[in-house]
This record gives sequence, structure tokens and C-alpha cells, in this order.
Amino acid sequence: MNPMATSAATTVESIIRTADLWKLYSMGVEQVAALRGVNLDIRRNEYVAIMGPSGSGKSTLMNLIGCLDTPSRGQYWLNGQPVGDLTDDELAYIRNREIGFVFQTFNLLPRATSLHNVELPLIYAGVPASERAERALDALRKVDLTDRKQHKPNELSGGQRQRVAIARALVNNPSLILADEPTGNLDSTTSKEIMSLFDRLWEQGNTILLVTHEHDIAEYAHRVIHIRDGQIAEDRVTARTTVRT
Amino acid sequence: MQIREAIRIAFESLWAHKLRSFLTLLGIIISICTLVAVVSFVDGINFYVATKIGRLGLNTFTLQRFSLHEYTDRQAFMAAVKRNPILRMSDYEYLKTHARLPIAVSAFVFGGFRGSGTVKANGQSMDQVAMRGVTPSDMSMVTFEVAQGRFLDHFDEVHRTMVAFIGPDLVTHLFPDVNPLGRHLIADGHRFRVIGVATRQGNVFGNSLDQFIIIPISTYRKLHGNQDSIGISFKVANSSLINPAIDEVRLLMRARHHLSYYDKDNFGIIGSSAIMDLWHRLTGSIAAVAVGVTAIFLVVGGIVIMNIMLAAVTERTREVGIRKALGAKRRDVLWQFLVESAVLSAVGGTIGILVAWLFTTVAGHLSSIPFKLPLSAVIIALFISTAVGLFFGIYPAAKAAKLEPIVALRAEA
Repeated sequence: MNPMATSAATTVESIIRTADLWKLYSMGVEQVAALRGVNLDIRRNEYVAIMGPSGSGKSTLMNLIGCLDTPSRGQYWLNGQPVGDLTDDELAYIRNREIGFVFQTFNLLPRATSLHNVELPLIYAGVPASERAERALDALRKVDLTDRKQHKPNELSGGQRQRVAIARALVNNPSLILADEPTGNLDSTTSKEIMSLFDRLWEQGNTILLVTHEHDIAEYAHRVIHIRDGQIAEDRVTARTTVRT
Repeated sequence: MQIREAIRIAFESLWAHKLRSFLTLLGIIISICTLVAVVSFVDGINFYVATKIGRLGLNTFTLQRFSLHEYTDRQAFMAAVKRNPILRMSDYEYLKTHARLPIAVSAFVFGGFRGSGTVKANGQSMDQVAMRGVTPSDMSMVTFEVAQGRFLDHFDEVHRTMVAFIGPDLVTHLFPDVNPLGRHLIADGHRFRVIGVATRQGNVFGNSLDQFIIIPISTYRKLHGNQDSIGISFKVANSSLINPAIDEVRLLMRARHHLSYYDKDNFGIIGSSAIMDLWHRLTGSIAAVAVGVTAIFLVVGGIVIMNIMLAAVTERTREVGIRKALGAKRRDVLWQFLVESAVLSAVGGTIGILVAWLFTTVAGHLSSIPFKLPLSAVIIALFISTAVGLFFGIYPAAKAAKLEPIVALRAEA
């Protein structure tokens, strides 16, 4: 697919669309470009892996897509909405409603129960308490962890923690699930469990963007984008893409 | 973010670091405790003074040879001794006839005992008994009532009878097992027949109010001569009449003493309000010093809270990152830390109030001063401690709110 061909018109189908995305960092007097003109188009219910060695700009791209950072140049539409130059609070709103994060280190609040961790995005969305608990329980049910709702992170295994994190990512019905090395801290058996969970979420219609440096994990996705030196080096479909209906 | 969530987080982190929280709060605890204890002390003692000091009941005032100012200032007193004429029974008769506002007027004289105030009876003896000579109308001024027998009457006054109305302490000491009525006692070398006993009033600053003997003023002056200045008490129907009545008595006395418009009063009128004014000036300065010291404590306590909140922000940078990634706005994070700091401080204030309450309760039992813990003091203390927490929490909270989510997420947990 040629990304340039679609940049003229934003289709409703596009969840992520970027046009000539640049990110510059100043190192003293010098400016270093972490991203040099990235053009990307990811559609609803796609399952995409972003790969690249460290220093490739993969994390920078991930931060921009996750609305944790703003680009130095270029445009970014998330779900048809330009988010390139929003303020901090506007970005927070977008993160809350449109994006579900799954991190390598889980990033759960250590003193809060699973249920409360899952409730967090709803708290910031202003959902009333009664409805919050209900929706958080629903999300925990999707990851088969309702029996662990009162456990704190240190009472859970790594795989369970990541499932709590996934439930938290799902709870606000985001347009996009953004998983940054979700299996990086897990053993291979648990990794498989988590990846099959992602498969299930994809089947249920979620759009998943996976950032990883492991080839076998990337192969779970249906499309793999390689980043090198701040640019897209390769954009290919995987063997699994046929699975898609 | 709902405030409830912020409060929950605050208590959670407070509980997670119990010792640290306690040490942090020590400054606030001490200052709030001091503040509440002092207010409680001043309030208690004011109440005590208002209800017990002197024989001044409600809606009464007295005319005396010297004013309160002259009593409390040595130089003024020396001048007044030369200037102020002695008050005599004729003044009492005059005011009783001409003052129209008071509903009762009485004359009194006290301090008559030349020696140690020894009273003997029934083979027992008792020292430091106060003797007062009064007119029968004095009964409407005093704060005690007749417990047994009767008070002085017109007959006693006219015939200068040798009768005594006594305080309950004398009964305890001199007539422990017998009915004191009709018994005799020797006071100041004279023999009196007991006609009545007063109800118990208790102590003021450890001095008993019940250790007195009251005799007719006519008898008193017969025994001690009539060179001592008398005091004259007035009672009005309600408190709104006190000031008009004081003005009336003052005008009558100025006329009687032939004072011109520019002359100062050469007598003193002391109302409960005058006594309370003097007293409040005294306790007011105690309170002022305490408030000053407390303010310094509070600032120190506030800085300690600010310090610990800065540490908490650094410690929980990762948490802030997570919350921001999940959609917390600057305002949400700001609120979270502000509320935490305010809750921390309010908890300190509450502990301070509890400690002060314990202290005042114990002290109230050990001394005769009735410490009071007014609700207003509790509310103000809570308000102040919360405000201190809010104020000193602003900077740390603003720091947390400004954290960049990507930087915060990268922080070590």
C-alpha cells in the first residue's frame, strides 16, 4: 500500500494516519531527528506490529501515536481527528477516550486492587462510581480475571498483571490498543497466553498496534512495519493476514 | 476527578507510610494542640471568672470608693486615696431613695478581721474566714442561696443583732455533726448566733468561696467603727438596663460630690462588664502570645509538609506518569496532591485537637479550672490545619501536575 496515495483524503476507516511526521530533539546546539517523515495509515480492526532496533525511532513513534508527545513537524490524525498540536489537557482527554495502553512493565498502581486499577481510566473520564465498578468488572471478565478483582499487583503473577493492564486498556472502549513490548517481561508460556488474548481482542473488532523487537511476537500481527533510522523501512503483511475475514 | 478519589488516595498513602506521616505531622500536631489547649484554657478560665469571681451576680454593679483602674494602678491609687471621699451609709440611703432604675440596692463592707480571721466554735477553730457586713437587701445580689435557716432581715439591721449567716465550709469545720442553727461562734472576739447557712459555691483559683461569715452591716460598723468606706451594690431587672442605671448612679454621685463638668469621677463604678474587660485584656494577651507562637509552629509544620510532599512527588513520578497516560489532566494531578497535603495536615490537626482535648480533660480534673473545648475552636483548628496543608501543598502539587507523561513513565518505580 502506498501511504502517499491516501494522504489527500482522510477516510473514516483510518484509525491512525500520519503525514510526514518528524520529531527533533535538541542535544545541546545540535538537533537530532528521531523520526524523519513517517507516513502511516492504519485502519479499523487492523493488527499491526511495529519493529525496529533500539534507537530506530520506534519508541518515539509509539509516544506520538499514543498522544504522549507531540510531533515537531507533520500531521497526525487519530480516528479522523487532527491531534498534532493539541494542548497537554486535550491530549490527556484523547488518551483517555481513544487509546488503551499496555506497557512492558505493566504500570499498575502497586497499592490499588485489580478492580481499582481497571477503574482508573473511568475515574478520569468522569464516570460515576456505580457504573465504574460494573464496567471494570466487565473488562476483567474479558481477560478472565474476575476472581482476582480484590488482589493487588504484588499478589498476582506477571501474566495476570498484564491481563489486568489489558483490562484497563479495554475499559473505556478505545479506538486503539497500543501495546509496547507487552511480553517483554514475561516467559514464553505466559507470552503465548497474552498473545492469544490479543488475538481474541482483535477478533472482537479491536484495533491493535504492537511494538516489539521479537520476531515471533511480531508474527502474531497481520502486518509488520519495520522502522530504521526514523523512517519506515519495510511494511509487509504476515502469513496470518489470511485469517482475517 | 472526584474529590472522593483524591481523599481515598490521600489516606492510602498516609497509611502506607505511617511513621513518616506521623513525624511529618508532628509540627502541625504540636501547633494545633497548643492553639486548642490555650483557647480551651482561656475560654475555661473566662467562664470560670465570669461565673465565680466576686459576689457580682448577673445584672449587678457596684459603687466603690476606687475604680478598677485605681485598684490596679499604683500611682492612680495613691492619687485616688487623697481625692476620693469615703462612701458612707448616708450615700447608701441617698442612692436607695433617689436612684430609680435599680430594683435593689445594698451596702456592704468587708475585710474587717484585724487578725487572721479566726473563728472558733464547738471547741474547734478555723482560720482565714472572710467577714462581711451587709444590708439584708444584699441577698438579691449574691450568687448563693439560703441552704438552711434564714438570711439577715430588717430586724437584725435595725437592732444590730449579733447574728451570723455562714458559708458551708464553716459548717464542715466547726459543726461537723450538729445542726449549726442557733449555735454560737466567736469571730474576732465577738459572739454571734448562727441563723443560716449558704449553699456551696466551690473554689476560685483554689480559694474557697464558702469560707465566710456575714453579719448585719450595722453590727459590723458598731464593732469596727464607721471609718471604713462601704461599697454599694445595685441590681437591675435586665442587662439592657445596666448601662442606663450606671449612668444614673454616676450622675447622682457626681452631683453629690459637687464635681464640675471637667472633673474626673472621684468614685468607682464596677460592673461585671468592667471586671470582664480587665480580665479579657489579661487573657487576651496570653492568647495573643500563644497565637504568635502557634503561627510560627504552623509555618514550620507547613514547610515540613511541603518537604515531604516534594519527596512524595519524586517518589511517585511513575504513578503520575501512569495516571497521565490513562487520561489524568493537569488539574486532576494537581488536585490529587493538594488534597493529599490538605488531608495530611487535617489529620495532624485532628490529632492535635485530640491531644489537646485529652490534656484539658486531665488538667480539668486535676485543677479547679474548668477547661472548655469550644466547638468553634475545634472547627477553626481544623480549618487552619487544612489551610496550611493546602497552602504548602501548592508548590509540590504544581510540580507534579507539570510532569511530562513520557518522562514520568520512564522514571524508576
